[in-house]
Amino acid sequence: MKYLLFLLLFLLILGVVGVASNPSPGFAALSLVMVAGSGCSLLAGQGGYFLALILFLIYLGGMLVVFAYSVAFTGSDYVEGWGTRRISLAAAGYLLLVWGGGVILSTNLNEEFWTVGASFGEFMSLEYSLVGVAHLYMGGGWLLVAGAWALLLVLLAVLELVRGASRGAVRVV
Amino acid sequence: MSPYMLIILIFTLGLGTLITLSSSHWLIAWMGLELNTFAILPLMAQQHSPRAMEATIKYFIIQTTAATMLLFASVSNAWLSGQWEIQQMSHPTPLALITIALALKLGLAPMHAWFPEVLQGLNFSTGLILSTWQKLAPFSLLLQIPPTSSFLLITLGFISVLMGGWGGLNQTQLRKILGYSSIAHLGWMILIMQYAPPLTLLALTVYIVLTSSMFLTFLYNQATNINSLAISWTKTPMLTALTPLVLLSLGGLPPLTGFLPKWAILQELTKQGLTPVAALTALSALLSLYFYLRLSYATALTTPPNNLPATLPWRIIFKQPTTFLAVLITMSLSLLPLSPSVMAFFTF
Repeated sequence: MKYLLFLLLFLLILGVVGVASNPSPGFAALSLVMVAGSGCSLLAGQGGYFLALILFLIYLGGMLVVFAYSVAFTGSDYVEGWGTRRISLAAAGYLLLVWGGGVILSTNLNEEFWTVGASFGEFMSLEYSLVGVAHLYMGGGWLLVAGAWALLLVLLAVLELVRGASRGAVRVV
Repeated sequence: MSPYMLIILIFTLGLGTLITLSSSHWLIAWMGLELNTFAILPLMAQQHSPRAMEATIKYFIIQTTAATMLLFASVSNAWLSGQWEIQQMSHPTPLALITIALALKLGLAPMHAWFPEVLQGLNFSTGLILSTWQKLAPFSLLLQIPPTSSFLLITLGFISVLMGGWGGLNQTQLRKILGYSSIAHLGWMILIMQYAPPLTLLALTVYIVLTSSMFLTFLYNQATNINSLAISWTKTPMLTALTPLVLLSLGGLPPLTGFLPKWAILQELTKQGLTPVAALTALSALLSLYFYLRLSYATALTTPPNNLPATLPWRIIFKQPTTFLAVLITMSLSLLPLSPSVMAFFTF
């Protein structure tokens, strides 16, 4: 179990360093997938399974996919990654920063501030976010309607903004 | 724009402000602010020119930055105090951060640089919504939060009056002038907020009436810069006769309505023992008065060279309905004698 935790944390830090050090958005998005994967596994292991599931679905499966498609439009010829010396040096520098920060912050190892679940009311030993969503759908009332209206509005606003073909300022589409 | 889209966007503008005005939870207030931001974006980009798109993008970035700061501060407050009530914020750091976030949303100095540029890229009706309706929701939040650092609020207010006056001096584009005038008026409102919140509401309402009159006047005359304003007497002589008076009311001169909030604010500041602040703010308002005077001069006190046919558009019947503008101008010129009842209207 310790080895699994160590592997996940290592991949997390490596992925974060990858996001920070890669100038190409494609490689950065790939590192972000690694970060999200390891981070969500850690979260699920600590009891936050609902949040991890929602993150995978919406963040990776919705927002990151749209980001990757938008980035694909801006393809460049000379993509730099960890292969070039400049970027690998930057990545090593970030890793050193993380290691130094860990050394400084590791003096207080006995703190415990990681609670993702609680028992209250009719929801026993369930995660906070799951209970929150359930409450929104159960007793949310008009707030749920307003939230759904907000989502619909953002869709319509984006559609209206990117409506191109001589009606927009984005002439190429 | 398709009428269905227009209806949805205007409805959401109203809904967002209503949600923020009636909320007691920070997340709901944030949701209302985000609704307002997103609903106005397609309205701003209606003209589909690169300038309008630039204004839309700038507005979006600024507003989401402010909303994110607001969310961060309210989550920090929830972490520190355990509850999300707007009126029960107890920690000074989130309070200060929320004040700064709302100041960025409103366009108060020193976070004001985006406002005249964004206004310049819009047509007059969208700029009117941006200057009047979009100020209501942040103000309702600012009025509800507990008292924060008085130095912060006075600094924000005084610097806004100063920068609003100074920045507007070098402008010839009318939308930028109206933007700087908005910054100056918002400064007056913030200045008095911690001592007498009803006066903030009074200043806000009078400002909305005055600036709506100006926006609608410029809209009817299709005047975007001072040169176009100078020949607007040929289109609507009656309106041209009243425009300098509205401008002087904006400048805060008695016996016009614009004098009332300035008078009440200066009186309250003096009562609170802040006479130097009151004197300096009144002197800074002179800067704004100068460019209002310049506009009045161009509108009605001089006649630029023109040929005979161009002086005759007023003979054609003006088709646009001007009833609302007539009501607004009447209110902006003649409410001062009603000061006691106007002020009683806002005292709660």
